[in-house]
Amino acid sequence: MDRASLEVRRGEVFTLLGPSGCGKTTTLRLVAGLERPDAGEITLRGRMVASVPRRVFLAPNLRNLGMVFQSYAIWPHMTVFENIAYPLTLRGVKRGVIRDKVERVLGLVGLEGLEARAATLLSGGQMQRLALCRALVYEPDLLLLDEPFSNLDAKLREQMRIELKLLQRRLGITVLFVTHDQIEALSLSDRIAVMQRGRVEQVGPPRSLYEHPASGFVRDFLGQTVILPGRVAKLAPGEPSAAVTVELNGALIGSTLAGRGAPGALLSAGANAHVAIRPEDIEVMPDDHPWPDGHALTGVIEALLFVGDRYEARVALGGEHSILLLVSRAREWREGQRLRLAFPPEMVSVWPA
Amino acid sequence: MAGLTQAIAAPGPRRIELQSVLCTVVLALVALCVVFPIVLVVLQSFQVAAPGQPAAYGLDGWRAALGEPGLRAALVNTFTVTVVRQLLSLPLAVLIAWLLARTDLPGRSWIEFGFWAAFFLPSFTVTLSWVLLLDPDYGLVNALVAKLPFVGKGPFNIYSFWGIVWVHVITGSLTVKVILLTPAFRNMNASFEEASRVAGGSTLRTALRITVPVMAPVILSVLLLGTMVSLQTFEVEQVLGLPFRFFVFSTMIYDLLITRVPRYDAATALAVLVLAAMLPLVLGQQRLTRGRRYTTVTGQFQNQPHRLGRWRAPASAFVLALVLIVLGVPVVFALLGTFMRLFGFFSIADPWTLDNWKTVLGDDQFLGSLRNTLVLAVGTAAVTVVVHSLIAYIAVRTRYAGRRLLDFISWLPFTVPGIILGLALLWLFLGVNFLRPLYGTTALLIIAGVISGMPLGVQVIKSGLMQLGGELEEASRIAGASWWTTYRRIVLRLMAPTLMAVAMITFVGAARNISNFALLSTSANRPLSILQLDYVAERKFEEAVVVACIIMLISLAGALFARLLGLRGSSVG
Repeated sequence: MDRASLEVRRGEVFTLLGPSGCGKTTTLRLVAGLERPDAGEITLRGRMVASVPRRVFLAPNLRNLGMVFQSYAIWPHMTVFENIAYPLTLRGVKRGVIRDKVERVLGLVGLEGLEARAATLLSGGQMQRLALCRALVYEPDLLLLDEPFSNLDAKLREQMRIELKLLQRRLGITVLFVTHDQIEALSLSDRIAVMQRGRVEQVGPPRSLYEHPASGFVRDFLGQTVILPGRVAKLAPGEPSAAVTVELNGALIGSTLAGRGAPGALLSAGANAHVAIRPEDIEVMPDDHPWPDGHALTGVIEALLFVGDRYEARVALGGEHSILLLVSRAREWREGQRLRLAFPPEMVSVWPA
Repeated sequence: MAGLTQAIAAPGPRRIELQSVLCTVVLALVALCVVFPIVLVVLQSFQVAAPGQPAAYGLDGWRAALGEPGLRAALVNTFTVTVVRQLLSLPLAVLIAWLLARTDLPGRSWIEFGFWAAFFLPSFTVTLSWVLLLDPDYGLVNALVAKLPFVGKGPFNIYSFWGIVWVHVITGSLTVKVILLTPAFRNMNASFEEASRVAGGSTLRTALRITVPVMAPVILSVLLLGTMVSLQTFEVEQVLGLPFRFFVFSTMIYDLLITRVPRYDAATALAVLVLAAMLPLVLGQQRLTRGRRYTTVTGQFQNQPHRLGRWRAPASAFVLALVLIVLGVPVVFALLGTFMRLFGFFSIADPWTLDNWKTVLGDDQFLGSLRNTLVLAVGTAAVTVVVHSLIAYIAVRTRYAGRRLLDFISWLPFTVPGIILGLALLWLFLGVNFLRPLYGTTALLIIAGVISGMPLGVQVIKSGLMQLGGELEEASRIAGASWWTTYRRIVLRLMAPTLMAVAMITFVGAARNISNFALLSTSANRPLSILQLDYVAERKFEEAVVVACIIMLISLAGALFARLLGLRGSSVG
């Protein structure tokens, strides 16, 4: 971890997103108190829990956090009830109250009636719910989720994502969530911090990260991006999100595309640049469709894959580039078909090469 | 980093400090009991003055160890026996482990238990059984062979190099490898083999080209372990080697120590040589086990056993014959031996009697020794579980600065011959004032037992802890439990089956241990294992074999118990 400063607001789902080894789990474990920081400070609700300069380190059991582990870490020698009751017992809660609380929290996730079941006899999804119950039952100040969905199959993962979101909204609990899955991050979070090599690349709400990535890494990590190399032909001066015209090179030489300059990008006429666009923002039409010059390219479908709700088309642009596009099944497509691909300037961003 | 930050006084982490204090206490105690004796041994090898004389330092001991033909021969013998043992037992053990774990061999779980039980047989008892069969003059097998036409005298002689190798292979060498390799083979992901079968490989080809290479690290680790155990042997050579003046270093050391003028310098110099030979093995073993990834094996992949087809009957007969040799023969003949009027003589008139049992059971010495053994075995098991689990936990789970050192020290008892460890502890306990009252008590023997079992006990618990997965403990910490509560309510509870298995192995080990106790025991704390040795020294073989049989029965009961616990343990995880 290197020079990261993050702030999680009360009641929000804050996500650390990045490829494996980017430091997101380490960050989570630092917050949990499972790792000791080499430098810096961590405060929780105004309470200093770790500070290297002030020589403060609060043990994890004194931080009042909840955590759901990737492996769920359900204690196999305890029943469902005992697993959930454990943190309450440690807090000296009376037995009757424990029973009520366990019952209520099991009801929240739809596991009611399973109290006496041996924890090892649960299915994957049930184990995950149990882990969530155990982390929520004592109303922690902050809930930590470490890749909680990674051991579930795709269907169950989608379902748990929605359930978790609803539960979080209902309880108003603050969540710090770690994942490498962009869909989980985008769908669950109020704000996301994209991390790379121990550094925070960008923090913001999901939509603004997706639509206005501040760096090439964020742009490529979130969603798909079509990137075409070229040279800046013209800059419209004066305006901040000025229109930039780029002449493509290589096999696409002669074509030009227009877009806005990427945030903070220093572009000058004649400099090498990359044109970037989300593939879903490219408008795909048959070749004969008219379109004003400067905002379109032609391509040929190399391969067409029917994936159920749509087609995946691999489209060759000139001789060098191939891009993967998702096209509607509302229209008939065939391999070898010529296409006109429109690049709406408001969806195109231009980056220094 | 951890060491520095833990020393800093912080308001919150009281319990972290408690943990680090506890770690330091454990490290200090273990270092005192393991490292200090080794240092004493090294120092003593340069101390050349006769016992009782003022200390004088020189190289006489080393000159003797490296120069005297008898001592050099002992080193050569040790090396030869070790290499031959491993060469014979390893391929056999790999074959058996593969048959037991990966094929449809009939009755494989019972056969595995047979090897497990055989592993618990005291080698002293087994040796006596084979003397009954293979004594050159009176051995039963020789007598039968001699009845054949044209054979004058039976061809087998247990009192020979090959006799010693034979007993070794069928006692320690083979059984320990089988019981370590079989679970490892069983846990191997079957898809490696299935891929080979699908690609067109036959069963044999798959076993040789896929299974064995995939298992190479485990096999190598077992080989290193076997070599270390081989270098330690004592009883077999003591019984079988002495009659034809065949020494390995451990019996040579014993010989140097029990003469009228003990030659501590030469004995310890020999011990230091062994220690130097063992260190690379220990380091290699440590490296192998540290690098291994322990993933908890789930029922995710199905292990479809290979069909042996027409090889099923021969393979089955072969393995059953081996079980008979490693388990059946020793048990039956040890029991038979106890009823013989004259041990080993089947041909005399009226060879059978109950007198041996009457004599031994009526002997006050025996009753005292039986009590000593039971106290010793229970005490060693109890202390072992506490101490070894603490060491293993510190090594695997904490950030304590000295954890690597502690882990390394826990391996060291392997490098010290049992006799020498006993001797060093004797010096330690006679030399340090406040420890002297322990001399002659069972507590001293318990300490010796705990130390000698340390490499195995700590390793077993360590691998159990690694399979447990750290998140189970972290979840408890996050839930609000202190380190100590987590240790009690999560770690110990989940490790209970493993700990019980370790306790049983230690119990049996302490009941049959000879080499560690030979120099430490006095008439007051003499256990059964030393009593049988004393009977042998007095040439009272009939009494010795009765005691040996009793130890064997205690061991087998322990084996059965441990197996039951072990089976339950695997179903818990």
